[in-house]
Amino acid sequence: MLDMPSTDTPLVQARGLGRNFPQRQGLLGRARDVWAVRDVSLSIARGETVGVVGESGCGKSTLGRMMLGLDTPTRGQMLFEGRDLASLAGAEKRRLSRRMQMVFQDPFGSLDPRRTIGAQIGDGLRIHQIVPRHDIRAEVARLLDQVGLPSAAAERRPHEFSGGQRQRIAVARALSTRPDYIVADEPVSALDVSIQAQVVNLLMDLRRDLDLAMLFISHDLHVVRHLCTRIVVMYLGRIVEEGPADKVFGAPAHPYTRALLSATPSLHPRDKDSLHGVLPGELPSPANPPSGCPFRTRCPVAEPQCAAAVPDFRTLAPGWKAACIKAGA
Amino acid sequence: MTRTTRKLLLPGTLIGLILAVIVLAPVLPLHDVRAMDVPNRFAGPSAAHWLGQDEFGRDVLARLIWGGRASLFIAVGSALSAAVLGTLLGLLGGYFRGVVEALTVRASEVILCLPPLLLALLVVTILGAGTGPLMVALTLLYTPNYARVVYAATLQVRALDFVTAQMAMGAHPLAILWRTILPNVMPPLLVQMSLVVASAMMIESGLSFLGLGVVPPTPSWGLMIRAARGAMEVSPLLLLWPSLALAGTILIFNLLCDRLQAVLDPRNVTAGGALWLRKGPRRAALPAVPAATDGPLLAITDMAISVNTSERSLELVRRADVSVHSGETVALVGESGSGKTLTSLALMGLLPDQLGISRGQALFRGRDGRVTDLAQLDEDGFRRFRGAEISMVFQDAAAALNPVHRIGDQLAEALRDTGDAQEISRRVVDLLRHVGIPDPERRQRAYPHELSGGQRQRAMIALAVANAPRLLIADEPTTALDPTIQAQILHLFQKLKSDTPDMGLIFVTHDLAVVAEIADRVVVMYAGEVVESGPVAQVFARPRHPYTAALIASVPEGAADRLVAIPGTVPPPNAMPPGCRFAPRCAHALPACSAAPPGAERPDPARITRCIRWKEVT
Repeated sequence: MLDMPSTDTPLVQARGLGRNFPQRQGLLGRARDVWAVRDVSLSIARGETVGVVGESGCGKSTLGRMMLGLDTPTRGQMLFEGRDLASLAGAEKRRLSRRMQMVFQDPFGSLDPRRTIGAQIGDGLRIHQIVPRHDIRAEVARLLDQVGLPSAAAERRPHEFSGGQRQRIAVARALSTRPDYIVADEPVSALDVSIQAQVVNLLMDLRRDLDLAMLFISHDLHVVRHLCTRIVVMYLGRIVEEGPADKVFGAPAHPYTRALLSATPSLHPRDKDSLHGVLPGELPSPANPPSGCPFRTRCPVAEPQCAAAVPDFRTLAPGWKAACIKAGA
Repeated sequence: MTRTTRKLLLPGTLIGLILAVIVLAPVLPLHDVRAMDVPNRFAGPSAAHWLGQDEFGRDVLARLIWGGRASLFIAVGSALSAAVLGTLLGLLGGYFRGVVEALTVRASEVILCLPPLLLALLVVTILGAGTGPLMVALTLLYTPNYARVVYAATLQVRALDFVTAQMAMGAHPLAILWRTILPNVMPPLLVQMSLVVASAMMIESGLSFLGLGVVPPTPSWGLMIRAARGAMEVSPLLLLWPSLALAGTILIFNLLCDRLQAVLDPRNVTAGGALWLRKGPRRAALPAVPAATDGPLLAITDMAISVNTSERSLELVRRADVSVHSGETVALVGESGSGKTLTSLALMGLLPDQLGISRGQALFRGRDGRVTDLAQLDEDGFRRFRGAEISMVFQDAAAALNPVHRIGDQLAEALRDTGDAQEISRRVVDLLRHVGIPDPERRQRAYPHELSGGQRQRAMIALAVANAPRLLIADEPTTALDPTIQAQILHLFQKLKSDTPDMGLIFVTHDLAVVAEIADRVVVMYAGEVVESGPVAQVFARPRHPYTAALIASVPEGAADRLVAIPGTVPPPNAMPPGCRFAPRCAHALPACSAAPPGAERPDPARITRCIRWKEVT
């Protein structure tokens, strides 16, 4: 289900975001531009989950960090309720950070191994004075309960929990400040299938109950399709297709989206020969991207014309667009 | 007794003893440290003077204890104050980088350019000789060491997700430093501390000798060693006592720091043993196994893998039944903790220390038709099989390839017995081309880090198939790869299979969809047991074990609104439920399920399930 774009401003809005990591070759060499993200515009409304899919190196994690204000964009603006995150600093930025939180991929690295779960979840409560001091224990217990863990867990340390439990603790920590917006960077990729389902269900419940805006970054198309209302497909730092989940996965318009879908293994293999249609080659280096369409070097339907210029977005339906000269043709 | 007290008991008692003696020195019935008795100089130990008398006839024991006061006070005091100062500088520099780094860490490093004695002379010239100035000098001297160590550790820790999470939480930078980063840089700090205490004692003795520190006749261990050195030939014992005190104290401090480090780490790490210290073969001779003329390539029956601790033995894997025919692809599928990787490592003889096969058989039919029980092989026995008959592809090719050798050289090493140099280099290029590495003539000269993830995995597969093994074990070979690259590697495995139709393939994975794409037969493992096995199409179409059914239903494919999640988690190996291990999480469990481990049932000649209710619930 896609909410039609409403008239009021979206909660989160990225305008033409770009991030450059210049690399110097040798001591005296000239710095070369390496754009991890280029010209990405994206907005997320309350209660909406936007999925970002793409392979490693496509810039989706950098985009996630920028969209949370953890990294400053080289170009473009990152707006939260219309306020540019780059214009905020110090205490003001820390105050705003209450409203936006992050869930990380690695459930083993995202919790401090030396502090108890309760202390780590309680940090946000203390910093932003969400509840009075003497209520912190009760609030931590409530948060743990919300993610399906017993309140006794607060006294224990991360290594006593399994991967799935840790990821739920990380979600509880993110929820502690009562955010409006969450960036989840591959939150289920490191989990087992049966546990992954627990966390995906939890995120779906939270979105429904708390009316959260969520940016869900993943390389697993099945999970994204299941959880997200809108999908953004990225390749080499650019958005190549964006649209409602059922449209993008049902009738992918960009050849890269099609390739990604057919490369994803399925419980019901279409036929044993399907693997012969695999996409050749690998992601080009972001330091030396192809001219024109970034995907043309691996694209099965590329033409000489594709090298001429970066293709503009073609709108296929309201809210559905693809950056391919052949899209919708 | 808790783990903490047990670990700290020994070093704590020793340190306490030393401190008590030193602190109580004024009230102990000791001789006067300055009372000379020149006629009895260099006298040996006696009832009045337990450790003998020195070059002025003074009592050595008294001087040793009083000297410890000066030496320990200076060494520990300066080590601690340098630790505080250096940690502060290192934390600030490592966290904020930029200008702060230049002002803290880099500035403190200037001190490293000055020779220690010069620095001490400088300090003493300004402040005058004595204990206080000596401590200032030593503190200044050691601060940069701490700063550097803490700086490096801070750089590492600040890149971790839990620090980023604190930033995202809006925590004040100083709060992050104090609460999150400081405890996590403690381990290297403690190591540094034990080194510095030792080194400070040495330097103290040197400086005292030069008259820059403790001034005679006040005793210190350093001064005593220096004085005894001159009289070494007359009375070697004089040198022994202070040296013993110095070395003993330093060792005890090192022990304390080591133990503290272990206690502060909440994850209880058990030390591993060296390869050559591992237990020898359980049975020396290879038992002759009656060779059938025809049979599977590999038949594992009722295999158990146990961890052997001093207290008890735990079965991590039990009742593993897997068979692989030549040309067949068998997928070993399960969640983490299911024992699938242990099972595959056992076949290569690569089980971690302390683990061993404790029961069952793994009969492997070699190239010459002889059948060997892999469960009985020792390290030497396995060496004959690895690479040539059984080989393995690991999940993390970046870690499994040697980073300092070229890809081509690593392949040539594997092929070294197969011909002359020219022949080998030709085969290396052929192999690389075979696994789909473009431009193999040039690529063979690349180091692993110069290849992309997909190409590294290809190189590793080339290494595994270099000697045309009869059985290839692939442990999660595509898990770390992107979808399009994963598809390429799966395609490569299919190509290898069709090129070498006799090779058996064990494909270990947690991804059911990958199983559906590549395998002929699937073995589902849960909590160390095989719960179901059979042909892939049949098992996926109609699973006969509730766990398999739930696992398939939890894959987010299809139109269901909510995913089927299996409640709970895999039980830890030391708390396995009796009876069926899946019963606590199973929706169909009955009291009977927890009574006894379910036996293997055959819903179909080609299939096995370990569920007593398979007829009703599947």
